[in-house]
Amino acid sequence: MSSTDVNRLNTASAPHIPARISVQRVMMWVCLTLLPATLAHVYYFGLGILLQMILAIGSAYLFEWWCLKWRQQPMQPFITDLSALVTAWLFVLCISPIAPWYVAVVGMFFSIVVAKHLFGGIGHNIFNPAMVGFCVILIAFPQSMSLWLPPVGLLEAMDSIKTLSLLEIIDWVFTGRPNEHIDAVTAATPLAAVQTGLQQGYSLSEMTALPIFGDFGGMGWEWIANWLFIGGAILLYKRIITWHVPAAVLMTTIAASTPFYLFNGDVFLSPQQHIFSGGIMLAAFFIATDPTSGCSSFRGKIIFGAGVAILTVLIRNFGAFPDGVAFAVLLMNMSVPLIDRLTIPNPYGKKSKVNEHV
Amino acid sequence: MNQDRLSHFHGGLVLRHHKKASCEKPMLPAGLPEQLVIAIKSSRGHTSEPVVAIGDHVFKGQVIAEPEDSLGTVYHAPTSGLVVAIEERQTASAEAKQAVCVVIEPDGEDTWLTRPEKLKLPASAQEIIAQISAAGIVGMGGAGFPTHIKYHATQTDTAPTLIINGAECEPYISCDERLMLDEPEAIVRGTVWLLKAAQANRAIIAIEDNIGGVKKQLDAAIKKLELVAQGFDLSVIKVPTIYPTGGEKQLIKVLTGIEVPSGLTPLSVGLIMQNVATAKAVYDAIELRKPLISRVITVTGDAIESPRNYEALIGTPFQHLLQLAACDFQDLDKLIIGGPMMGYAMPHADIGIEKTTNCLLALPADCTKPEIDAMPCIRCGDCVKVCPQELLPQQLLWYINGNDEHNDLEKAREHHVFDCIECGACSWVCPSHINLVDFYRFAKSELTYLDHKKAKAQQAKIRHDEREARLERIKAERQAKRRRKTAKLSNKKDAKAEMSAVLARIKQQEQAKVDDEG
Repeated sequence: MSSTDVNRLNTASAPHIPARISVQRVMMWVCLTLLPATLAHVYYFGLGILLQMILAIGSAYLFEWWCLKWRQQPMQPFITDLSALVTAWLFVLCISPIAPWYVAVVGMFFSIVVAKHLFGGIGHNIFNPAMVGFCVILIAFPQSMSLWLPPVGLLEAMDSIKTLSLLEIIDWVFTGRPNEHIDAVTAATPLAAVQTGLQQGYSLSEMTALPIFGDFGGMGWEWIANWLFIGGAILLYKRIITWHVPAAVLMTTIAASTPFYLFNGDVFLSPQQHIFSGGIMLAAFFIATDPTSGCSSFRGKIIFGAGVAILTVLIRNFGAFPDGVAFAVLLMNMSVPLIDRLTIPNPYGKKSKVNEHV
Repeated sequence: MNQDRLSHFHGGLVLRHHKKASCEKPMLPAGLPEQLVIAIKSSRGHTSEPVVAIGDHVFKGQVIAEPEDSLGTVYHAPTSGLVVAIEERQTASAEAKQAVCVVIEPDGEDTWLTRPEKLKLPASAQEIIAQISAAGIVGMGGAGFPTHIKYHATQTDTAPTLIINGAECEPYISCDERLMLDEPEAIVRGTVWLLKAAQANRAIIAIEDNIGGVKKQLDAAIKKLELVAQGFDLSVIKVPTIYPTGGEKQLIKVLTGIEVPSGLTPLSVGLIMQNVATAKAVYDAIELRKPLISRVITVTGDAIESPRNYEALIGTPFQHLLQLAACDFQDLDKLIIGGPMMGYAMPHADIGIEKTTNCLLALPADCTKPEIDAMPCIRCGDCVKVCPQELLPQQLLWYINGNDEHNDLEKAREHHVFDCIECGACSWVCPSHINLVDFYRFAKSELTYLDHKKAKAQQAKIRHDEREARLERIKAERQAKRRRKTAKLSNKKDAKAEMSAVLARIKQQEQAKVDDEG
């Protein structure tokens, strides 16, 4: 370059050396940390979840592609950001592994098209997309959602014939044709079992002695929860999430459920069962931590997490649905603007008192 | 304030230093370039007026520009030579903004302006401050605020503590570290002069903990000068190397645990902060009678073959320094003044360095290319985690970017956008590669402009209201007068007298007219 080469140089503003980090990488870590729990799911409940994943991820990307085209957004950066993959994956972890094929398709329609793109695409969704999809099918297809498979250990305990083969699962998912195996092997989730049990007049202590309740939460479920906890710990270690939401969700779940349990342990679940069954562990690390639909300040995050936990416990104890995590998350999503407004942190130099220890 | 009782500021980043390459060799004089381009603008838009004309011959150290107001700065000729131009040129500032520059062609003689033979050291604080002001010394860490101003205010208050900032937290820049290694005694002596100017006796030299050798040098200089016996308390404190620990507010928090109240200067909490290079410049000015005409500058970056620190005259063109350090011009993509976090990219290399230019960073394209283009914010909150001012960067972006229904920049003010120090930590960690600081700069300037407009509109409204009131008053007065008259005329006798008076007046006027024509 000679000195006459005016304005040849790049004058983009700082930072001049970009950090090697991207949205894609964040999403990839979320998927990687979901992997152990997903494998545990396969171990306990069979290959059904993999079929559901193919259905959900396939339809999620179809809808994503269609929405980007329709909204005239650049295709490449958005289709490769892996956010649709995370949405589909979280959704699948919530639904029954033997749900009919249209459950995943309808769920993903509401997740990707309604909750995400109608609100303005990635970064603009007010509600957690996976939870929107899940709540829609929870209300629209309650029958399919209550139809679960028993975990592997329970089959042995029940002295059952055999597990479902992949072909039988595919046949059931796509045709819905009843066959003798399905009827023989389906079971309720622990939380659903509690609800029906209580309605039939059983006490909790009678029920939790049943093998389906496993060692401390629900057979199979407790181990998926453990793996989710480990995955979440990795996210914390990688600093992709902060401790505020998981800590608030888990500790508030314990704090909110303990009084009920002490008041009447025959009607209300123990704190330990609250934590290790249903969706609370998934919510604590992977759903309530969704930054887009969550609070921005640290105080806000704690309030948000605590709100999710309290609503979940209340819905489980008094509501019409066996588990309430999804509704709790959506209700708290609605409260985010208000919480954000009330929790603007005081920046440097604007704290109420200047501490003086010079 | 001691080594064992340091505090932390919120957030911050651990960055790779990239300082070793430029700092391991002693500094070199950069020599005389073909031309010196000296921008004579001061901080925050306060200007100086040239006091030389094109064609004038100037001596080294001769005043070439005087400040227009109290916040301006004096400029001196860095060498002897001919003034060949005084014109608007691009300068080493954001967006290479235009400002008046004095261009000097050196005559190669480097002749000093004749100075009094005998060195007379200043005796009082006032004299020291006057000498600092006359030497054109400004804060050399970046802000460029005239140094003497900080000391006028200290004359009545209780003795402040002086903090000498040697925490050079931006990657690549090593000019302060090199200066502390090469001239520890000058820095310590300059610090003592500053203490005398502030009528204080306690100073802390803060350095980052990754440059241990510097502490030894400074401690030795403090010991050698026997400052304790003279009643001065100087100590060197190592602070953790976390970006931006060298920021004024952050360093104060680390050293004292105090947060400087928003909108106030450190003096409000009894502190004055000064860069190490400023302390050295004060020493030069007072003990060597050398005004601020040169500074240490780091020339470094992946496009530079032999990175180094140079002592360069103010006004030395980038081109000259880049050639000295063997810059690969073919490869050069970005030429940055300052560091990679807060520096400004320059459009070309024909710009002269200023008193505040601490680093020339030359980067090739493979260093500067972002992995991906900007994506929408996913509110991940990484920016909240690192913000040293404890702001909510993602919320600020939301309001500034026009996502808010009312498109209300006032919301950005509510979220404390004016407390942003533009350190760039948020932009650095953003997985969506959003240049957040650009948005905050925009919001600040826009809000300042709107405030200005609002103030003007308010003034206009006040004037308008006053005018309306005045017209109203005059109207009312007239009406009152007329009413009084009507009331008076309602009496027949008075009316008659009035009528005859009027008639007499008309007659008189007509008479006068006739007389005039006649």
